[in-house]
Amino acid sequence: MNIFIRELRANLKSLVIWSVIIALLIMVGAAKFSAFAGDPEMLKMLDSMPPAMLDALNMRAFNLTTLSGYYGLMFIYFGLMGAIAAAMWGSDIISKEERDRTVEFSLVLPVSRSRVVTAKVLAALVNCIAFVLITWAVSLVAVRSYNPDQAFHDFLALEMQAMLSIELIFLAVGLLLGCAMKQYKLSGSTAVAIILTTYFMSIISGMQEELDFLKYFTPFKYFDAGELFRTGRMDGTYLLISATIIVVSVIAAYWIYDRRDLYI
Amino acid sequence: MSVIEVTNLTKYYGKARGIVNVSCSVEEGEIFGFIGPNGAGKSTTIRLLLSLIHPTSGSAKVFGKDVVTHGPEIRRDIGYLPSEVYYYEGMKVIDLLKYSASFYDCDCTQRMHELTATMELELNRRISDLSYGNKKKVGIVQGLLHSPKLLFLDEPTSGLDPLMQRKFFDLIRAENARGVTVFFSSHILGEVQRLCTRVGIIRDGSIAEISDIRTLQQNNYKKVRVTAEGLTPASFDLPGVTNVQTENGTVHFFFKGDINAVLQKVSGIQVTDVTIEEPTLEEIFMHYYE
Repeated sequence: MNIFIRELRANLKSLVIWSVIIALLIMVGAAKFSAFAGDPEMLKMLDSMPPAMLDALNMRAFNLTTLSGYYGLMFIYFGLMGAIAAAMWGSDIISKEERDRTVEFSLVLPVSRSRVVTAKVLAALVNCIAFVLITWAVSLVAVRSYNPDQAFHDFLALEMQAMLSIELIFLAVGLLLGCAMKQYKLSGSTAVAIILTTYFMSIISGMQEELDFLKYFTPFKYFDAGELFRTGRMDGTYLLISATIIVVSVIAAYWIYDRRDLYI
Repeated sequence: MSVIEVTNLTKYYGKARGIVNVSCSVEEGEIFGFIGPNGAGKSTTIRLLLSLIHPTSGSAKVFGKDVVTHGPEIRRDIGYLPSEVYYYEGMKVIDLLKYSASFYDCDCTQRMHELTATMELELNRRISDLSYGNKKKVGIVQGLLHSPKLLFLDEPTSGLDPLMQRKFFDLIRAENARGVTVFFSSHILGEVQRLCTRVGIIRDGSIAEISDIRTLQQNNYKKVRVTAEGLTPASFDLPGVTNVQTENGTVHFFFKGDINAVLQKVSGIQVTDVTIEEPTLEEIFMHYYE
């Protein structure tokens, strides 16, 4: 419990910073929506853009002149930011002890390494959940003036669940990197590199028919906003893949961290 | 009872040598000095005993329990002062100490205040604002506040001024008097000599010698210095004499063997001064490293 609380405190600053960034993003996004809202001219202009570009930006799935459509387009930012924040939290919470050389203190205390990992990952998990709730709350405030209907609220709820799922995947991957990497200083940047790679894979897989198989390797495709919007739910297969990634990463993280030498 | 029992402990970092086939045991209530130059494997040995790293082969037991499988249990009764102390920079000293204390089943508040008073530590400062020496003091208090039964000190005096060093040694002696076993690693021989009952000398990852400080000094050579008229180095041409030097009519040399042989030689000379000394640990130590 003491490790958990200390980690929550230590990570509070980072949570606040990420929340401010995403709040600004939502505010700016919502303000910009006023230019799109119910404007048929905008639709025409969008239609005149090259289809490949629209695909790349996932803009064909949505009617940008409706709030839900606009929020569908916003989702990728939530997903990306959630992924990066979660991966950083996951890897940093373990690797910082070696980076700051505090392992010689924290792991000489009478606690098992598994208990340390558990407390830390729970603290990071709280951050992830808080980040989603803050995104959700700020969104509700930001779109209030557009009088959103129930359909929008349902879609927003679905998007937030998807955002949390993406966070959990990258939290687990980040944790694994933090626990396993000998080059502990690089665990955070490696996590971000994985996120960007999988993000670009998700774009490419949407653009090229023959690269469609890539969709199984990128969590951003598991929770594609267009699909979420069309079906109104998260795909079962993808949820299963996500759960597998999370479980395998977490088990591997514990297993490796318990057995390896700490780098001092 | 042996508090620490190390059997053929070996650690390689990839291909780099840590320690090779180290065996030793430390008895309850003793202060065991562990000496060797930088890179000999002192810290590696301690980190293995604290299960911060895992052995390549061999085994080690602390309080009769295997360090790999019973780490957390063993560490309940261990205090550790690393050679360089690092704590969470953003925390205040008092919060750090309370945090540390919260892991042990004891009310350590009173002892914490005693120790901080002894070490003249300011509790309300941030760790990041502390000097190296002051961080070391935090380390001392943190390592001792839960009244551990076994103390690991890894080059503990670096960064402490002489006054603090003395207080620190007094503190360690007081702990030892209460029955605490101390594993004292250092390359400063003077302090080992002052504090320890037994020493292990480690060189290039292997134990070169383990013995009682007294025996180490007695069974070793003596330092002999003779001042007399017309002495030459040839005057002491005996088996066991080494390192003969002459200056201003004084001959000094090291001698190992039956001291009566030297005394007989000396008795035949009209001397103005004679001293026969035990070598310092420093000199013995250099002998192991030649």
